[in-house]
Amino acid sequence: MSARSICPDFSALEVPMDHWSEPFWRAAEEHRLLVPRCGACGTFRWPSGPFCSQCQSQNVEWLPPGQGRIYSFTVLPVRGDGEAAPPQFRIPALVVFDEAPGVRLVSSLVDAPAAAVAIDALVEVDWLAAANTTVPVFRLRGES
Amino acid sequence: MSAKSEAAIVGVGATPYYYRGTSAPQTVPELIGKAVFAALADAGLTIKDVDGFAFFAYGFDPGSLIEQLGIEQLTFSHIVSGYGGGMAGVLDLASMGIETGRAKTILCIGAMQQTGRRVGQSLNMLGANPDGVFHALAGLSGPGQALALSVRRHMHLYGTRREAFGEVVMASRAAAATRETALRRKPLTLDEYMASPMLADPLCRLDFCLETDGALAFVVTSSERAADLRQRPVYIAGAAQVATRNWGRAFFWLNQPEPEFVSAGATAVAQRLYETSGIGPKDIDVALIYDHFSPLVIMQLEDYGFCKRGEGGPFVESGAIRQGGSIPVNPHGGHLSEGYVVGMTHIREAVEQLRGTAVNQVKNAKTALVTGGPAPVPMTAAILRNER
Repeated sequence: MSARSICPDFSALEVPMDHWSEPFWRAAEEHRLLVPRCGACGTFRWPSGPFCSQCQSQNVEWLPPGQGRIYSFTVLPVRGDGEAAPPQFRIPALVVFDEAPGVRLVSSLVDAPAAAVAIDALVEVDWLAAANTTVPVFRLRGES
Repeated sequence: MSAKSEAAIVGVGATPYYYRGTSAPQTVPELIGKAVFAALADAGLTIKDVDGFAFFAYGFDPGSLIEQLGIEQLTFSHIVSGYGGGMAGVLDLASMGIETGRAKTILCIGAMQQTGRRVGQSLNMLGANPDGVFHALAGLSGPGQALALSVRRHMHLYGTRREAFGEVVMASRAAAATRETALRRKPLTLDEYMASPMLADPLCRLDFCLETDGALAFVVTSSERAADLRQRPVYIAGAAQVATRNWGRAFFWLNQPEPEFVSAGATAVAQRLYETSGIGPKDIDVALIYDHFSPLVIMQLEDYGFCKRGEGGPFVESGAIRQGGSIPVNPHGGHLSEGYVVGMTHIREAVEQLRGTAVNQVKNAKTALVTGGPAPVPMTAAILRNER
């Protein structure tokens, strides 16, 4: 098994957006992670949608969520190209944030040594190019 | 004894179970038809008696089926809006249809044929959805990969061990050894389990259920009419469908608060089922638990109150789910060893247990629990019994 998790190629990915998710991706283009919070009662929501589940308000504001940490993760084997290719692995990580309770973002934890990955490990967001925007992935803090 | 008029299962039919894709060239309507005709024959009824359908969300087409099966008229044709989670809800629908007089003979139908399309890759479509594109960024393409996140969290919070998952699989294999319809019948050791390759750490290949084809059908009618039919009636003593916001889209969401995130999503449906039926976990003789992934059996045992939250691992490791244990689970081998037809095989086993004809008969079984799969809402479950 190679030492670190793969960094997927998203360059051909066309990210689907709607009215309620578009602000996330506008900020993403500027490499800023913002998450939606109800403008009326202050409850965070995820995924971004038309109503607050607590007060049903449609008002929304977008805020940086603070420090991310791993809530859970898995390790998936990835087939290399051809018989001789060394086995690789991908790490889907579910991440929570100190300043956005109720929001869990799932994406790939890239370039991470499997042995260093643990629940509660701190992560930073990095940005990779997609066809129509840039997309967030995670790196272990200190490994960036 | 209950004065309530209960619906009863009076006929069971099934095709053989086939490894994924190998039921071809039979078509899905053909598989369904074979199961339906077998179920009607089992009941001593004919297709002309059928006036109702109950499905779960799978895309069956009632129009096509009545054309091809030769049904003159339906007065009841309804679908539970959940998929694997809604499976046991077909018994709730059928009860409603019978008890309200909307139909007299209702067929509950389930079928699976994985030619081309694989259930295990059903999350791939999320990449085209604004709410689901993050699963694509993460690389989560199937339910097992997403559920692995919940399973790891359960291990983290409660110290649940892989040995417990292994015991669920080993118990399933031990049961299947004598079950002729089962596709995996070779007994399994813990060493063999531990050597199985990881597919979605902490889930190894043996934690994933079979991928199979097949169809099953059940005939439901009134208890009064059941008394005059061929088979010992199996009464639908209770059935419930519950959708909670805290479970929602299940592994398509991943934002459930704890403890829902480390559950199988069935806490609310279990509570409603027990309240409305007046039957509790201590009254259940045999549990047919939806076992698409072995750790989800442990989480359901917690949800359904057979043990406390977080204690499911030690509970199964104690031998509790084996034949002779405090709650025998899946004596037919379940999805892990017999076959996977979205839970319908569990209803068949419940009926065989309560008729007293099961291959691995639980002695004096009077009450059986059948659970729908941990999947998007509604979550559903039913309790069957052989006495009124």
